[in-house]
Amino acid sequence: MSKSNRGDGGRGDKMPEFRPGTWLQGNGPESDIAICTRARLARNLQGFHFSPCLPDDEARELYDFIVQRLKQSGMPEQLHLLDLDNIDDLERTVLVERHLISRELAGSKRARGVATDTEEAVAIMINEEDHLRVQVFASGLQTEAVWRRAERLDDALIQRLPMAWSEEFGFLTSCPTNTGTGLRLSVMLHLPGLVWSDEIEKATNTAQKIHLAVRGLYGEGSRALGDFYQVSNQVTLGRDETQIQSDVFLAVGRIVQWEREVRQALLRGTARSRTLDRIYRALGTLERAQILSSEEALGCLSALRFGIEEDLLPGFTIPNVNRALLLSQPGHLQRFTRERLQPDERDQRRAHLLREVLGCSR
Amino acid sequence: MQYCTACQKAIASIVIMDLNGGAVTGSQHLCGPCAEQLGVGQPKAPTKFSAEILEDLLGGLKSSRPATSRPRAEACPGCGMTPTEFRTKGRLGCPRCYDVFRHELMPLLARIHESQSHRGRLPGRTSTAPVVTDEKNLADLRRRLEEAVRGERYEEAARLRDDLRRAERGEGARP
Repeated sequence: MSKSNRGDGGRGDKMPEFRPGTWLQGNGPESDIAICTRARLARNLQGFHFSPCLPDDEARELYDFIVQRLKQSGMPEQLHLLDLDNIDDLERTVLVERHLISRELAGSKRARGVATDTEEAVAIMINEEDHLRVQVFASGLQTEAVWRRAERLDDALIQRLPMAWSEEFGFLTSCPTNTGTGLRLSVMLHLPGLVWSDEIEKATNTAQKIHLAVRGLYGEGSRALGDFYQVSNQVTLGRDETQIQSDVFLAVGRIVQWEREVRQALLRGTARSRTLDRIYRALGTLERAQILSSEEALGCLSALRFGIEEDLLPGFTIPNVNRALLLSQPGHLQRFTRERLQPDERDQRRAHLLREVLGCSR
Repeated sequence: MQYCTACQKAIASIVIMDLNGGAVTGSQHLCGPCAEQLGVGQPKAPTKFSAEILEDLLGGLKSSRPATSRPRAEACPGCGMTPTEFRTKGRLGCPRCYDVFRHELMPLLARIHESQSHRGRLPGRTSTAPVVTDEKNLADLRRRLEEAVRGERYEEAARLRDDLRRAERGEGARP
């Protein structure tokens, strides 16, 4: 099936879908460890069934109604709408990998879409588990900034759409885990230090004790590939948005500090040579491997990122690692090579492409 | 005045409206007996003892209340979700489910959030300023609510319950 088309390092820079979105810019506070912060609001409309009881024709009606209201002037964000029926499954996978939509929304057969801004800092999913899932992203640890931006957007949505709410339960959501504020603030953390020193379980347990959820790279049910974890508030009812924001900010700050301390410990004394060995082995794999699965690639890139952050790998840059992280994923890889590839073909192509992106091709 | 559309004899006392997206798409006028026969009549309110009424009034306020032998909820009239479906899926089908499955929902909310009532933004009340609660006022309201229930002054009790809920969220109880 292959049409010869090798990805060259420069081409992707001009194509928006190969530039890291807001979540991978790597330029916010604490961005060496806190990759990205996201605020998510769950909202439903009065007069329509919630997702589990929503017939397809009503889902279409709801979708059209929301789209029409989003087009009204005065929205605080410049959004453009993408009807997910108008793009193919590969393009939908790319959106999932960019965290703009969920896997569930991509795979749904109903009328559904996403409204995003050009910076990919805002993405409103329509007809997900709730009628609206408003998401705001910022690079680094910026819980207050994302919440304030989401709040402005929510104000505009409340003016345009009849939200389902009650005095007692707040915003009514399909799942009781989101009832109340409907606010989930999550921070994506890169925690190789805690994983390598076997402290991650302790960190996870501590976070859970203070009502924080710890999830993998792609949220609920996903694995922590490449030592990336998402930490978010579990409680949405009984605490207001300001309290939630402050709780997540303080708790994540402590995890970031913990990660910094274990990294230093891993680079001291007898632990140092073991740590360096692991980082250089990852580099060796990236430089020489002929076949790389996305899971192995993420593991190697995580080690590389650790090495760069600790000034152990001159000549490599975080922006290149971030691009490599994005392009190593199946959807981006196939979009970049402009080919539909079988898994084994993808693994071969990935090994070559990552060398080019990282600037270590020979 | 309209006659019952089913028996065409008695005067209709119940109107059933079909709603679609907020618009009325059809209506049916029925008399009491026909409505009951068709299963769309008003459910007869069971006789309640004052303790049960107090429980109802307190609703979410008494989180540690043990489960009672009250009858299980029927399917939600808003979306048709049954209690079994709610338990299996763990999802609600429409805003009315929050009332219909209240007795199953409350302990669930307490387990997930360690809380059963909202604090924070709502449409029309978007301030996230920290709430200042007046404990003395809250205690006073709780005492008056219990007195009203004991004295079987249910209208007053319902009003006090709403006041108490608002006060617990910091509205009307600010210094």
